[in-house]
Amino acid sequence: MSSYVDKDYFYYLRGREILLYKMLGSRNQNRISQSGVLQSYDNELSYPDEDIVNGLRLEYTALNEPFVAEAIEDTSSVTSGIGISFTLGSPSFISDSNSGFTFATGDKIRIVGSSSNDQEGQVASSGTITTSRIDIGSGTIATEAAGQRITITQIPKEVASTSVDSTSSINLNKMLCLAVVDYVKAMIHEERGEIDKKEYYIKEFYSKLADNESNKRNISVAFPVSPFAVR
Amino acid sequence: MTILELMERVGTKNETLTIAYIKDAIHLLQSNTKEKIKSNKQDIINAHDGNDNIYRFPSDMIALENVSILDTSDSKYKRIKRLTSQPHYLIEDVSP
Repeated sequence: MSSYVDKDYFYYLRGREILLYKMLGSRNQNRISQSGVLQSYDNELSYPDEDIVNGLRLEYTALNEPFVAEAIEDTSSVTSGIGISFTLGSPSFISDSNSGFTFATGDKIRIVGSSSNDQEGQVASSGTITTSRIDIGSGTIATEAAGQRITITQIPKEVASTSVDSTSSINLNKMLCLAVVDYVKAMIHEERGEIDKKEYYIKEFYSKLADNESNKRNISVAFPVSPFAVR
Repeated sequence: MTILELMERVGTKNETLTIAYIKDAIHLLQSNTKEKIKSNKQDIINAHDGNDNIYRFPSDMIALENVSILDTSDSKYKRIKRLTSQPHYLIEDVSP
């Protein structure tokens, strides 16, 4: 059993690899091998000396789902409430006693708050799609009664790379799409040898990236009123 | 924004090249900001020889955000610290 991992484990980046080390002097005294024992300053480090299933988790950015079926501004359907239940069957479906569903056929959805059905799935491309019931096209659900507060959110549906065409949408918000427009313009001008214009549009590209980031970080500053202002 | 709309804005008819440029732009964007984060999990193995502590980055990784280890005693992933230099072999333990 692993514990105090935040204090015991360390990593080192080496090119495209990540090397894991574990502090030997803390809880685990099992030295693994002659070559596996290291010392750094006062603390000995060793290689990991235990199996942990899915023990290493990396968060990273990637070229992930670049194109989607519709603009992300249009993927706005969301339903939340305590009247949502799940029924496993043929077809499996989700019900809402408050008739709050606004999903369309083929929408990709994410379910959160459920004890046994937290997952991503897809509304069936045919079947019963109403405000009180949606048939599930993909994803396996378990039967679950209403009672918990569950939220179902529409999420962008990826277009497979082999199916991308001019009708596919870019999986970015409007501001970043405008930044991409600047980038493509920059590349076109570069191709023509118009470096000054390329530089201009690349600057615009980064400017919009910065705008998009700062738009999420609006800060309000409140100043206390001076007591000397009271008359 | 659809690819067609973007092509009209930039005045090009080359769809394949435009798609490639869009992917390049998203790549650059993901390298500079953190618009969309993915996670990857790998099993940690009990090391038995000299290269058992080496793990590979996901093949599609652009920028690393953080590294964490599963604490099985309370089922939480906890972030771990980075060593700025690789530890040197200062002690050769002949009787582990």
